[in-house]
Amino acid sequence: MGKSSKDKRDLYYRRAKEEGWRARSAFKLLQLNDQFQLFNGVKRVVDLCAAPGSWSQVLSRELKAPENPEDVKIVSVDLQPMTPIDGVTTIQADITHPKTLQKILEIFGGEPADFVCSDGAPDVTGLHDLDEYIQAQLILSALQLTTCILKEGGTFVAKIFRGRDIDLLYSQLSYLFEKVICAKPRSSRGTSLEAFVVCLGYKPRPGWNPKLELTKSTEEFFQDADIGKSYNLEYLDLPDPEERLIAKFVACGDLNDVDSDATY
Amino acid sequence: FEPLSHYGFVTSLKIYSNYVVAGYGSILKVFSVEKDDVSLIFSSQIFKRNKIHHISFSEKGEKLCVSGGRSFKVIEFDSLVRKQYDYKIDEKAINEWIISTEFLNESTLLVLTSHNVIYKVDVSSSVGHYSVLDMIHCNEKSILYSGSIRILADKTVLISAGTVMNGVILWNLNTRQILHNLTEHEGSIFGVKVDQNGKYIISCSDDRSVKLYELKTGELLATGWGHGSRIWNLEFFKDTSDGSVKIFSTGEDCTARLWEYQPGNSLLTQLELWDNCHLGKHIWSGDVDDKFLKLCVTGGADGKIRVHDLANRGTSLSYTPQQISELLSKVFGKNEAIQLFCELSNLNLLVSLTSNGNILTLDQNTSTWHQISLCEQDVTQLKDFGLITACSVSNTALICCRNGDVLCLNFKDAHTVEKNWIRQTHGTSNKVINFLGFTSSNNFYALIDFPNPKMPFILLTFTLSNEMITLESSKQLNKPNQNVFTTTDILVDEINNWLVIGSRFTSIAVYDLNNLNDSLELGAIFKKICPGDTISSVSIVETFKDKITILMTVKDGVYMYANLLKDQSNTFSLDIFHQNKISRGFIEGGFVKNMDLIVYGFKSSYFYVWNETKQLEITNELCGGAHRKWLLIPYSNRNPVDLDYKFIYMSKSTLQIKSFKGRFNHQNYGLIHEGTHGREIRDISVSKYAEKDGSKLIISASEDTTLRLGKLYSNGSIENFWSLNNHVSGLQKVKFISKDFAASSAANEEFLIWKLNYLSNGFPAIIEYSRLKPKSDIPDLRIMDFDTLEVENGFIISTVYSDSNIKIMHFNSKTKVFTPLADDYYTKCCILNVNFLKFNEKSYIMIGATDGYLTIWEVTSILNSFPTKETASVAKFGKMIIKQQLHQNGIKAIQVSSSENGYNIVTGGDDNSLILNTLFLLNAEELILESKSFVESAASATLTSLSSGGPNRVVSTSVDQIVRLWSVENGKLECESARYTTIADTGSSDYVDFDGENMIVLAGAGLSTWSFK
Ligand SMILES: C[S@@+](CC[C@H](N)C(=O)[O-])C[C@H]1O[C@@H](n2cnc3c(N)ncnc32)[C@H](O)[C@@H]1O
Repeated sequence: MGKSSKDKRDLYYRRAKEEGWRARSAFKLLQLNDQFQLFNGVKRVVDLCAAPGSWSQVLSRELKAPENPEDVKIVSVDLQPMTPIDGVTTIQADITHPKTLQKILEIFGGEPADFVCSDGAPDVTGLHDLDEYIQAQLILSALQLTTCILKEGGTFVAKIFRGRDIDLLYSQLSYLFEKVICAKPRSSRGTSLEAFVVCLGYKPRPGWNPKLELTKSTEEFFQDADIGKSYNLEYLDLPDPEERLIAKFVACGDLNDVDSDATY
Repeated sequence: FEPLSHYGFVTSLKIYSNYVVAGYGSILKVFSVEKDDVSLIFSSQIFKRNKIHHISFSEKGEKLCVSGGRSFKVIEFDSLVRKQYDYKIDEKAINEWIISTEFLNESTLLVLTSHNVIYKVDVSSSVGHYSVLDMIHCNEKSILYSGSIRILADKTVLISAGTVMNGVILWNLNTRQILHNLTEHEGSIFGVKVDQNGKYIISCSDDRSVKLYELKTGELLATGWGHGSRIWNLEFFKDTSDGSVKIFSTGEDCTARLWEYQPGNSLLTQLELWDNCHLGKHIWSGDVDDKFLKLCVTGGADGKIRVHDLANRGTSLSYTPQQISELLSKVFGKNEAIQLFCELSNLNLLVSLTSNGNILTLDQNTSTWHQISLCEQDVTQLKDFGLITACSVSNTALICCRNGDVLCLNFKDAHTVEKNWIRQTHGTSNKVINFLGFTSSNNFYALIDFPNPKMPFILLTFTLSNEMITLESSKQLNKPNQNVFTTTDILVDEINNWLVIGSRFTSIAVYDLNNLNDSLELGAIFKKICPGDTISSVSIVETFKDKITILMTVKDGVYMYANLLKDQSNTFSLDIFHQNKISRGFIEGGFVKNMDLIVYGFKSSYFYVWNETKQLEITNELCGGAHRKWLLIPYSNRNPVDLDYKFIYMSKSTLQIKSFKGRFNHQNYGLIHEGTHGREIRDISVSKYAEKDGSKLIISASEDTTLRLGKLYSNGSIENFWSLNNHVSGLQKVKFISKDFAASSAANEEFLIWKLNYLSNGFPAIIEYSRLKPKSDIPDLRIMDFDTLEVENGFIISTVYSDSNIKIMHFNSKTKVFTPLADDYYTKCCILNVNFLKFNEKSYIMIGATDGYLTIWEVTSILNSFPTKETASVAKFGKMIIKQQLHQNGIKAIQVSSSENGYNIVTGGDDNSLILNTLFLLNAEELILESKSFVESAASATLTSLSSGGPNRVVSTSVDQIVRLWSVENGKLECESARYTTIADTGSSDYVDFDGENMIVLAGAGLSTWSFK
């Protein structure tokens, strides 16, 4: 049974069609918002890895409602081209490249953002450790941008795949946010390892001034942030054990909501 | 936990001197190659968690560096070879992903990171006090998927970096200068290398092409197309003395290919293709040594490592009619061509008949052609028509003419032949349609078949002695009473003296040859014994008095093992006890060799020989497809280093003789490490019952819809016997449900019952026994789980579905009939688990679903309704006795065990938690579920499976790749032990007790066995 036919029998897929979302992913953000009120007071957002753009659609609909629509700023980035969305600035670029992050900063012109989200997923090779590493790089790149642009107290949401080292990431994020939660919307299939890390209450690292430099890798960027990431040790010894933390798990969406694992 | 054995991804391979070094996940394995034998000399887990993705040697070969993830380790190679490896120096790490390493000299290691930075590391310290001497970059820190370091003779160090988006960056480490930015590929680059002389660059990518560039100019010289999907790995051939440029590549499409560059041609020429040398998807790693060992090696996602001979791979001869004319100094007639041929293996002599009735022989030892002199009359009789068969042991070729006359040609040597006609005495107007031969230990049989259904078969029996055959009898066999009975193959079993004839419409006929009459009646006919069209071959597997086990192959790809039996009343019966369909092409024939099943046939334009037991292709030949005269001669009894197979065929009017051999064929066709499925394993089950040899049957279900049946031994190793392809959709569950039966469930509402059987030596066999009929015409529901209860004359079975449906039915193991008993829905969410529970006389059904609830119904009356029930009414469940939310999200796993007054039910959730519940009857009336112990963060990610860990213990697996052993005592869950497993996507496990020794089998992207106290 091919993947495509599986998608077709998914109720969320049909509902997305009916409601005009470009992808069923829209429901994941909506359910996350239901649970965590992510959009409260949010006006300025960066949507990373945004194509085909259903999250941007959600953001533009939900944030456009307030009285002063001019205040709202949504910037969406993806490797893939995206059909324009009203009120959304789209950029086609690689978010792991420092240049891309710089460009986003420029668009925001020094003003902070309220919310950064990333629904990024690389093409998987099938080598689990490599795929997890690339996914982690996507998240770290998003986090890099976040530390440069997110206002204190702001929110960061990123797609994760729950694999063997996800607890390392939770641990690092817990240095930067009040609360780090692993959230699983009911619209995300229970059979997939996909989940979202919801980081509430950004707290910049005291004494650390995150600065993007074109020749710095993500690892180098976070070198002085002191977020429990291990660096090169004396004699290059293996950091063992490393700081790990299990984030609280929250299933979101109403139990009466459609089950994405069910077939009809 | 103590690891016993592991099968998983082969993440890297390197040939060095006469060694093959493999990164088998975290395990390092070293094989030595001595002439034609490859043997494992070292195997040990080198890294705690990371996998070995790269292997490099220092120039003098004293040191070996393995690396992967952030880890690396420098090892004195000599200590491995002498098996005195000491663990003095620990695993080392840097804070970036390592792409590759290379020794600059014996004391300095260069490490390329995924951010395109080179670490220069001093590794001279014998106590592991390594230091970073320098970190060098070229100002372009894009993320890399691949890369390599080439140190040229003049000490120039070139870094080739394969990026995610923008192609290949080639830079010079000494000057930090970017030399080229090659952007011809589309998508990520998965392999890039510079050759040893610094003249060329090769790269491969997402876009399925191999590209060769001139290093100096960066100019694209040629592109190789052929791989069907992404390419993971590339190597240059090492021998460049003849100026040639050859490349070896492996990829996602499970092929390894050899390419050659021809200057001026913008396409690389594909010289060789190894297809199907691994299972499933992905050849992750490979290396080639064309200079010394003359072999290449491949490692797959299936955990197999295979060496392929590059040196002695048989010969290929061809003869056009013109060439034969010249060699014979005889002019072929107009349109005269070779019609038929056979081979007399002992003489290495090919005997052929031309369309003009001439008999030509080819002495393959001397490559000389001869014409056998025949009288005019003979030539006329042989002209335009003839059928040929051979009795190799007696050096006899037999040619049957249109009227059934048979010319026996008995060769003393290549040149001396004795001719002998066997004339038919009855009606001559009949045209022979088929002529089939069979050699047994004492006799040779030839069956002559006329198309007229009234005309009996003629069976000629010859006795074999002193390399001679002598006609003993000629019998008439009355044909089965039907319009056409097309013969395809015969066998004669000498213990019982039975003749078996294979035919079209998957039918076989049996004759009892014990009858001394000259005219015999049909003993039995078995029609339409399986789906498919033609039985393409019949052969004997084993034979006993009144019972023979035969192998039958069906053209469409089915093969069967069946017992042919004769009872006291002389009635024959046929019992098919093993049946399967190969996943590749048509089967023309098959045989059993050292218990391995070998089949051969055509697949599109290829002819293949396939070892079904080992699941590997032995050889193939691009011959143009099935419609041709051909002959396969297996040399099973020969000196192993000699020939293995000869495949002779006609292509247009040219005779092609292809002989296959390989230095490693005697060693499982170069399979130097066994493996498992080629895709993720979804479920695994071990039988409770011990086999005669003390092993236990193990069955596993993988993502690619195959089931594998094997034996698990007490040392943790697994021997595989069968790969079953009956499912067509994604598998969910597989279980042994009794000593003789197993069941499996999948998407598309597939639910199959399997029956286990054995050959006399305990070799297991398995057959699809029955299949549940789906409820809709276009079934698209998944059967997520099932449970069974053994009852009189069968099983009570419950299946649960992704649309919340629950069914209970009775399965009669004699009649194979499913009788529905109950059919109901839970809610609308997907059900993940089902279990039957029993309290004294009362029966219950319990389910766990994606909503995190555990739900129980009483089903006593439903189960008791059989066999009295009227089949017309299918019951509903009625009231839920218990419905309790235990987990926030799906209940992924349930382990039920009996306790003093009821059950302990351990549940594992998607929410990372583990809960111990007890279930008991209060006052013999009310069923109570009580949560006793709750471990919120029992794992850092999704619990995926639970299995018993022996009495009062449970083993959990989770996607954080940590296996935990929990004690379940006094209502408490306590983690006794935890260990990291290198199996990613850890999704299933089963517990085995080997005479009091605990073993756990873990599966996911690979398969491991661990023992524990
Ligand atoms: C699951 S989709 C996002 C769906 C989107 N949130 C929506 O609702 O329509 C993941 C996206 O990540 C993007 N992506 C992956 N790696 C990236 C990278 N390095 N830079 C930018 N985008 C990337 C892919 O192109 C893909 O479009």
